[in-house]
Amino acid sequence: MQTPTGRALLRQIEELSGQVVSDCYQCGCCTAGCPIGEDMDPPPSKAIRLLQLNRPEELLASEGIWMCASCLVCGTRCPRAVDYARIAEACRALILRSRVSKVDPDTVTDPELEEIPQQAFIASFRKFSV
Amino acid sequence: MKYVYYPGCTLYTKARSLDACARKAAERVGFELVEMPSWNCCGAIYNTASDDLAAQVGSVRNLAKASQLGDKLVTLCAACHNVLKRVDDRLNQPGNEVERNRLITFVDEKFERRVQVMHYLEVLKNDVGFDKVKEKVTRPLAGLKVASYYGCLMVRPKEVLQFDDPENPQVMDELMRALGAEPTKFDFKTECCGGYLVVNRRDVAKTASKRILDNARAWGAEAIVTTCPLCQYNLDKLRAGDSSIPVFYFTQLLGLATGLAPEELGFDCNSFDPVPFLESKGLLS
Repeated sequence: MQTPTGRALLRQIEELSGQVVSDCYQCGCCTAGCPIGEDMDPPPSKAIRLLQLNRPEELLASEGIWMCASCLVCGTRCPRAVDYARIAEACRALILRSRVSKVDPDTVTDPELEEIPQQAFIASFRKFSV
Repeated sequence: MKYVYYPGCTLYTKARSLDACARKAAERVGFELVEMPSWNCCGAIYNTASDDLAAQVGSVRNLAKASQLGDKLVTLCAACHNVLKRVDDRLNQPGNEVERNRLITFVDEKFERRVQVMHYLEVLKNDVGFDKVKEKVTRPLAGLKVASYYGCLMVRPKEVLQFDDPENPQVMDELMRALGAEPTKFDFKTECCGGYLVVNRRDVAKTASKRILDNARAWGAEAIVTTCPLCQYNLDKLRAGDSSIPVFYFTQLLGLATGLAPEELGFDCNSFDPVPFLESKGLLS
């Protein structure tokens, strides 16, 4: 599947996420509250800014969209009701649908399988694997 | 009172103690969990892409199946609860009939009614009542300072979960008080532990979990209590050496307070052995 670019790509992200990026007024509340914020590049508010500036390709190429654990604290606290977790998920979905995985289930080791609760594997593969 | 019960995958293996204590403690406080037959995976996480219907089907089937058995479906795992609740909400949103009709054609089971997806904590609070729970306490958890950690899945999205205040929930704190323990305040009751990032970014989950543990300790907590197998794992297993305090399932403390024998409390599921701590508090005698 050929991934569109520019405005067409932005429209796809908005459609899949059900969010309107121009609703965001860049207060930064999402980034301030994100428990992964210091490791997430770009953090939620900057990611939304990239979309507002019509640079969706940069967000799709970023590591940040793969750092979101969908805890939803950003959207819950957003004064403009923008749900960044859904935007990150839409970006990941577009990549996964081009048959590119972030996490390869074959790399999970036996000790990890033995120890980590299976809900984590299922969730991880659903969010990060084709 | 009998309830249709959905345990989910993790409660059959790595979170056995969450399940076993819940079933036995339910009998102590006056209700019964009847496991629904032939349940399947809930999906473990709710997929939010607007056109992603396939990811919802597993939970649609569970809900349909449960609707043939009763009008309430009780969950324990925070992830199962979150997914079942959100899929139920999606099926029943006004204006979403076209999508609903597409979703229900994927499953053989027919919906008899809309089931109310309830967490075990909601059964204790709303149907049993914490006063009644308190009456059943035979071993009060006196002197136990415990931080109730809710994580993300129980409280968000708040419009759908409608569980408690998403910033400062109280249900588990009230339960701990009913059991005779002393719930401590802390700042990160609903902060994410890193969740499933533990699979590919263990470092990130470790940082997030350590922050939660350190904060609970700074507020004077001697133990943490949770309802999510993944939160329990992340907090209990990814701990840095100096932040060690026991991380219990709330059902373990409910079981302890209502008189279950120590060997019924499933402490072998806890990575940090809580037995010496409980003995030092005089709670196992």
